[in-house]
Amino acid sequence: MNEANNTRLIVTKAVLWFLIGIAAAVAVARYLRGLGATTALTDGTPWGLWIGFDVLSGVALAAGGFVIAATVHIFHLDRYHGLVRPAVLTAFLGYLAVALGLLVDLGRPWNIWRMIVFWQPDSPLFEVGWCVMLYLTVLALEFVPVLFEGLKWERALRVMRRVSLVLVIAGIGLSTLHQSSLGTLFLLAKDRLHPLWYSPILPLLFFVSAIGLGLMMVAVESSTTAWLYHRHGEWPVLRGLVRAASVVLLLYLAVRLTDLGLRHQLHLLVQPSWYSVLFALELAMSVVIPLVLFNLPSLSDKHWPVVVGAFTGVAGFVLHRADVGGIVHLAAGGETYLPALTEILVSVGLVSGMALIFLFFVERFPVWEEAPANPDHFTPPISDPLTHNYFGGVWFGRAHLAAAGWVIGIVVGMVVLETTTTGGKYPPAVPTRSARTVAAVRLVVDESMPASLLFLGNEIAPAQFPEGFTTALLIDGDRAGRAVLFDHTAHRDRLGGEASCNLCHHRNLRFERGTPCATCHADMYRCTDTFIHDDHITALGNNASCGRCHPATEAVKNRASATPCVECHRAEISQAFAEGRHQCSTDAAVGDIACSGCHGVSAASDPEERADRSEIAGIAPGYRLAMHQLCVECHCAHESKKAIEEPVMTRCGFCHRGVESEIEVVPDDGIGGRPVVVAEGFFQ
Amino acid sequence: MTTMAILTDVTRCIGCEECVSACRRTNDTGSDAPYRWQGGVNDLSSTRWTTLVETGNRNVRLHCRHCLDPACAAACPVGALSRTEAGAVAYNPVICMGCRYCMVACPFAMTRYEWESATPRVRKCILCYDKIKAGELSQPACTAACPTEATIFGDREALLAEARSRIAAAPQRYIDHIWGEHEVGGTSVLTISDVDLTDARWPDDLGTGSRPELARKVLHTVPYTFFGVAGLMYGVHWTLERRRQVAAAEGPTAATADPGDEVQRNEEES
Ligand code: SF4
Ligand code: SF4
Ligand code: SF4
Repeated sequence: MNEANNTRLIVTKAVLWFLIGIAAAVAVARYLRGLGATTALTDGTPWGLWIGFDVLSGVALAAGGFVIAATVHIFHLDRYHGLVRPAVLTAFLGYLAVALGLLVDLGRPWNIWRMIVFWQPDSPLFEVGWCVMLYLTVLALEFVPVLFEGLKWERALRVMRRVSLVLVIAGIGLSTLHQSSLGTLFLLAKDRLHPLWYSPILPLLFFVSAIGLGLMMVAVESSTTAWLYHRHGEWPVLRGLVRAASVVLLLYLAVRLTDLGLRHQLHLLVQPSWYSVLFALELAMSVVIPLVLFNLPSLSDKHWPVVVGAFTGVAGFVLHRADVGGIVHLAAGGETYLPALTEILVSVGLVSGMALIFLFFVERFPVWEEAPANPDHFTPPISDPLTHNYFGGVWFGRAHLAAAGWVIGIVVGMVVLETTTTGGKYPPAVPTRSARTVAAVRLVVDESMPASLLFLGNEIAPAQFPEGFTTALLIDGDRAGRAVLFDHTAHRDRLGGEASCNLCHHRNLRFERGTPCATCHADMYRCTDTFIHDDHITALGNNASCGRCHPATEAVKNRASATPCVECHRAEISQAFAEGRHQCSTDAAVGDIACSGCHGVSAASDPEERADRSEIAGIAPGYRLAMHQLCVECHCAHESKKAIEEPVMTRCGFCHRGVESEIEVVPDDGIGGRPVVVAEGFFQ
Repeated sequence: MTTMAILTDVTRCIGCEECVSACRRTNDTGSDAPYRWQGGVNDLSSTRWTTLVETGNRNVRLHCRHCLDPACAAACPVGALSRTEAGAVAYNPVICMGCRYCMVACPFAMTRYEWESATPRVRKCILCYDKIKAGELSQPACTAACPTEATIFGDREALLAEARSRIAAAPQRYIDHIWGEHEVGGTSVLTISDVDLTDARWPDDLGTGSRPELARKVLHTVPYTFFGVAGLMYGVHWTLERRRQVAAAEGPTAATADPGDEVQRNEEES
């Protein structure tokens, strides 16, 4: 079977390209729209999957490189020799993923070079940066002999052989340092990490787990490519590898639990919580399941336990890194982090890219020492010194499939973006509800004390109110259960009785005296259109009515070409102006007024778009903005006149007192029902 | 140079938020928007560098506490955050690379980010150091704006003395504690209060150790670790190589032996 017929290889490559396409689309959006629109990160949880997976796991997955290099070149366990090159290649790609992942995650990636020139020995991240850079270089140098061998550059090869020991030792030193310094990174985050994960020995835990993870990763990579290329694989040595991994895993388990015990945090394990479940899942995947699968005597002659165990173990440690990197960060406000779909897609795409590069190298260069089982899979590199065309030949076998995968990926990525990322940037649509009338009263307990508001129940008629009791509105526009208690009667009386209505209520629908604000300001944060097309269709006689507003049949039916509203509504508008319900800054005659000036006859038909363009005339602003302008303006004006000792009317907390809006109604046995204190504080 | 500081007396605060609006005006932070990533309308945000939280029926000011040994500055790998001589922890967006490590490191979670921007900056109180240095202000805008002198600016030592004398003068009124005197190694924002401030971002388990010290201890071992590991590796390599040569010199049987056996033996011996 040659490459052209190797279906699994072709399909795998197409899928990888597809995933890269999605990630590319998301990455572009991330640069255009910012991190807020493309991640689930918040001020309270500023690190997430792109740190936990791309960076922390990328480095850890690469640990196989230095572990195998040490095994073979330092400890001379020569039977693992065949694993060195794939492991070094994996490591190199792991670090490449880290660098690329950082470019996506950093808010200002163009400044990344400053990390190298700025000497900041106190910063663990500075150490990580240096180590990544140095080790990437070392890995590249460790890998170039493979390229030279493939290209048959004998002299360069000899030079590299001579320095190889130095490189290996430098690589081991650097790896030790910064596998652990990724743990050091979180020593500073003492106040942020959940106590099940924070530990002063995080550097040690990271180092030990990286060795276990690296070993298992070599097994994963070797068995996957064996499957892909119908190779025999390195099964005998893989078994030795996972035995070694078992020892490391046991050590890790012991250290982790001892550490918890010494810090007196073991009790957290048995408390049922999201964190204890997560911790158990993580330990089961990273340690327990692999240990069992690797070591059960009854499984020792099969291949699948090695594969399944290694995959589970790798996933478990990746989960550990993702946990420490963001998932178990505790925000002061209590919010927690779970990665957004867009973040996951970028990380997956990054891994796919690395996998493709891996396949590229194993197909062209002598990465595997054993002679390939199917030489047809491997295209010898073309080395033409004149054209410098080293990598010629048909790499992808079915390039059109790969390209199609990539393009479909981009399209899917863009679709995903539309539905997930805008919601991140703009506040979500929150339908509002109108205020509810309740009976409440200001009860002055003592001149020097804050007053209490007593809630008597919805059912009491105003006539039965005792002295001083009055109706009040409970305004809870976003249905969050935290209402603003609004003393409507007091406001009306203070502002001049009946004549004052239009100070606040600027518009009612036809035949209504008190249209709730929420009818037009229908969303908490976004703008809404006040022209309701459906209502007009119904009122004017369904389909037969189109011509009333859209007389020109040949013209596009949009608002611009429609009959002006004033043609029908002239009388109403005149009356509204006469009653002072409508005001117009231009004082123009009624006939000249364009309704669209106030009533949202705009070109933007897409609500998402309108939210972004609130300046478009006539769109009703979001409820929050409308209410705030309504109230805060007056409050500010009064604030300047009030006596010093009075409460501050412009302070958010003056209105937003956390009054529960879902108040239980007290049994109505006259006024004898026990009043419920709904709020305490300064009320006017 | 002496360390400048802010002392806030919770008992004097009337919750007018003059400090909040003064900060907004002076630092031109822009107006608040209810973005998904904010802790809430009253929480700190990239446009709200100082805010009031209610705890125990009191208003408590929140803003960056300008730690004496700031974790954010120690975290920053490019030095975009740094402590000025006067004690302010300043920020330079031009060199910031946006890793947000400072946000993860701050023990009080006082830093905020411009998530909505494609060129985001870290945002936090900077003790108005730029305007004070330029001579535009003689003290931070917030302390200048406070109508009741609940929050005041001055030399840290003098303010500590002032705080102590206030507590001594009315021991029944105050809790005998100056928040910020020792927490996380001391901060330049000091608070005295008649209610407990645990919920106003002064958790009980802060301790008096500075956060950067936690990592510094490990980071100082870096050169030793590197050369230690490298030396050890070379030692092992040399020993094993030498043994192999000796074995090769001793007899042809050993030299022609299967390398696998050799390895096996090494494994058992080590
Ligand atoms: S309070 Fe936080 S942001 Fe302010 S100096 Fe301290 S560590 Fe830095
Ligand atoms: S986000 Fe900027 S200021 Fe904060 S640590 Fe990173 S580089 Fe420094
Ligand atoms: S010191 Fe300056 S930057 Fe800090 S809160 Fe006060 S006004 Fe804002």
